[in-house]
Amino acid sequence: MPIYSVSRRRAVSLLALTSILLITLDQQGNGLVGRARDGFGFVFHPVEEATRVVTRPIQNAWRGVTNYGELESENERLRDRLDQQEGAFIAALAIVRDAQELLALNGIDNLADVSSVTAQVIGASPSNFSQTVEINQGSDRGLRVGMAVVNAAGLVGKVTQVFANRSVVMLTSDVQYAIPVQIVNQIENPETTTTSTTTTTSTTLSPTTNASAPAESAPGSPSTTTPGVDQGGLEVGPPTPTSVAVSTIAPATSAEAPTTTIDINNLPSVETGIFRGRGPDKAPVVEFIDQNARFGEVRVGALVVTSGGSSSLAPRGIVVGRVIKIVERTGTSGAVLEVRLTARLSTLNFVRVLLYQPVVSGR
Amino acid sequence: MIDLVNRPLVRLLMVGLPALALQTTLLSELTPFGIVIQMMLCMSIGAGVAAGPEGGALAGFVLGLMFDFVLTSPLGLSALVYGLCGFAGGFAFSTSLANPRWLNAVTCAGLSATAMFVQPVAANWIGVEGWISARLVKVMIVVAIFNGIASYVVVPTMRWCLAVRRLQRLAPPSEVFL
Repeated sequence: MPIYSVSRRRAVSLLALTSILLITLDQQGNGLVGRARDGFGFVFHPVEEATRVVTRPIQNAWRGVTNYGELESENERLRDRLDQQEGAFIAALAIVRDAQELLALNGIDNLADVSSVTAQVIGASPSNFSQTVEINQGSDRGLRVGMAVVNAAGLVGKVTQVFANRSVVMLTSDVQYAIPVQIVNQIENPETTTTSTTTTTSTTLSPTTNASAPAESAPGSPSTTTPGVDQGGLEVGPPTPTSVAVSTIAPATSAEAPTTTIDINNLPSVETGIFRGRGPDKAPVVEFIDQNARFGEVRVGALVVTSGGSSSLAPRGIVVGRVIKIVERTGTSGAVLEVRLTARLSTLNFVRVLLYQPVVSGR
Repeated sequence: MIDLVNRPLVRLLMVGLPALALQTTLLSELTPFGIVIQMMLCMSIGAGVAAGPEGGALAGFVLGLMFDFVLTSPLGLSALVYGLCGFAGGFAFSTSLANPRWLNAVTCAGLSATAMFVQPVAANWIGVEGWISARLVKVMIVVAIFNGIASYVVVPTMRWCLAVRRLQRLAPPSEVFL
């Protein structure tokens, strides 16, 4: 048969057109494509599981050969870090509990309210372009497409395909991954200034009031809390014209006694933006950052957490990472923040799928 | 029953399904230099080398479609690229009189690198952005080397798969006599 025969051209053209048709149907979200994928997954899953069992010794041997040295040094490093963090963890637990109580009192959702399913990572991406993992829980346990996946360190990704007893999770490093986040600037020096005079007319609580309890304030006045300060009474001053809200803590009886003042401008301030993955070799970025005068400049080391909201796929407050680099751009496009993820996506084992769906999707 | 097993499409599925399982389990974990080896692509090109352009295109399409079903990328993208690679593999084979193994390896390596470049470009055309990066060069090199080596096993396997008879294989292509 000649190289450029009519039948040869027809055959190749037909296959190419079929591929293009399939791509078009998939891009339009045709249900037939989803059902075809599900059907193939149903047939393929037993074969895949059998192969996984058979090839596991080879995988383990490969990991043993290639990762032994790294694992050994990592193990030592983690032991050191564990010792360091044990004390900090106990202190943090108390603060987290306080924060959860405050969120509950104010009717704000928090992560503790969201039920979750623990899953094990059973497979990595077979492609060089998609950053996905496969987990061993599926729709049988209530998983749905779009649910956020986390581990102990922070956000891992979102569920993109769900089968009966397994799911595919798109990692936060995937180029298709995007989610609204908040950037929380850390306090450089948490200042509590001490002054010797108080000129405000204030609501004076009992001297025995503990400052860690929620403060009651007049309507319209700023509500601030001062955890960890338990001396004296709590005075909440009215907002000043420059909207510098001040909580003053001082003995109620003496106008000349020392007063501890916490300026809420020194509290962590937040800024919103869109987090986007950029593949395995590039740090993910936060862009389209809203400009906020109070926020000031983003600093390297600022914390990045999910912002939540009615349409976000993840609830508010999941730690994503820290800002490691700020790339300034000209014009109105604003800066781009490079982020180091807190979750190590290359060594995932157990993850937690948050059974959370945004309000707009009809929870 | 034997007749059924002897059909090329049945054989292709019989080999393709375990190969896909290997791709999603073992090969996704064994990542030399952080790159996933593309066995399904190697088989598509091997099919072309073994059975000519039509056989290669059809086998590449089927294998690519199977791979698409387990990926999150658009369905049909791998089918399109692998089908074209199968066709190109067959085209390279049909133009050569002799068919030494080293030539198969070179063909597999070259087409693998090309496919690894074409796939993100095609993805970019249909709106999947971000696949084109500096890492692509590394992906092309590693996949090309490993697929070139794998061709020594894959081409004979695909020859059996597509039921290419020995005489047919050894005979020079018909266009030589035209």
